[in-house]
Amino acid sequence: MAIVSPGKRPGIRIQGSKVQSKKFGRGKKGAYASIMLTSLIDVMTILVMFLLMNFSANGEVLYMTKDIKLPDAFHGAQLERAPVVSVSADAVTFDGKMLLQTSDLEKGDVLNVPELEDALRDEKRRYEQIHANDPDHPFKGLVNVQADKHIPFKVIKRVMFACNQSGFGNINFAALARSVSEAKTVTASNN
Amino acid sequence: MAGAAPQEHTGKGGKKSLDVDFNLVPFIDLLSCCLCFLLITAVWTQIAGLQVASSGGPPDPQQKQENTIDVKLMLTEKGYSLSMAGAQIDIPKQNGPQGAAYDRKTLDEKLKTLKASLPEQSAITVQPEDAVAYSDLVEAVDACMGQQLRNVTVAPMN
Repeated sequence: MAIVSPGKRPGIRIQGSKVQSKKFGRGKKGAYASIMLTSLIDVMTILVMFLLMNFSANGEVLYMTKDIKLPDAFHGAQLERAPVVSVSADAVTFDGKMLLQTSDLEKGDVLNVPELEDALRDEKRRYEQIHANDPDHPFKGLVNVQADKHIPFKVIKRVMFACNQSGFGNINFAALARSVSEAKTVTASNN
Repeated sequence: MAGAAPQEHTGKGGKKSLDVDFNLVPFIDLLSCCLCFLLITAVWTQIAGLQVASSGGPPDPQQKQENTIDVKLMLTEKGYSLSMAGAQIDIPKQNGPQGAAYDRKTLDEKLKTLKASLPEQSAITVQPEDAVAYSDLVEAVDACMGQQLRNVTVAPMN
């Protein structure tokens, strides 16, 4: 039997292969490792295009919380920046500040909500003071209502009444924007 | 690395290579900066606003007087009820996989017919019962907006 040096020995078929036989070569490895950049640039370009298409210059108008699940709307307009009244199953908040429990609004037949009305009047006063010498930005009475989808109209009614009493007559109901094509897909799946 | 290293010129009058090398490093830098900026400023949930007027509020000064009829859409526990000029159309709830639900499809059809017969009509009053959920109210307002009835007023039923 022939004496051979220790180590891996390729078979006859692999020894003849141009590609496989390189694994068993004894040559010196190169000091520089090359990275394939083409696929990296492809991925980055696709990501940049996707993010550019979804880019919104307005930023986030509403602060989304897990307590509030918004309903869907297919024909809504873009939401403008305005004071936000949030109504969750637990609490009613105005611009992030908790005002009262939602359960309090479900009781009784009276419509007025003094805590919310005071907060809205303060907001109106503040806006008018800031824009006193600015005729380009008159007070439009715009308010965004962000309510959970299961909140009954009895609560919404009282919130709307409070907004109305405080001079905020233009109420925007916040909803998740959906496209009409999504509506067709949902209808088709239901049928 | 493709194109990162410039091709060496030997000075000999040989045939020029047909391959063109791009310097990709500034391109990758720009893409990385764009990617970071867009990821940080991305808004993942698109929020829509349905503008409604509340009953009893001050009238909109920009809104011109229309020669239209008074159209009311009532949301009751039985379903929708569309009333106009003395006539009333009831659209009962439909049984679906999640129980009885408002029949949005029929409402869309009725509102479309209404809009076709009264093209100048843009005002409608939505009157939900106290127990109606916010999602059903938004759905009704959305249906009105979809049929170009843009001046939606929300008023309590009683």
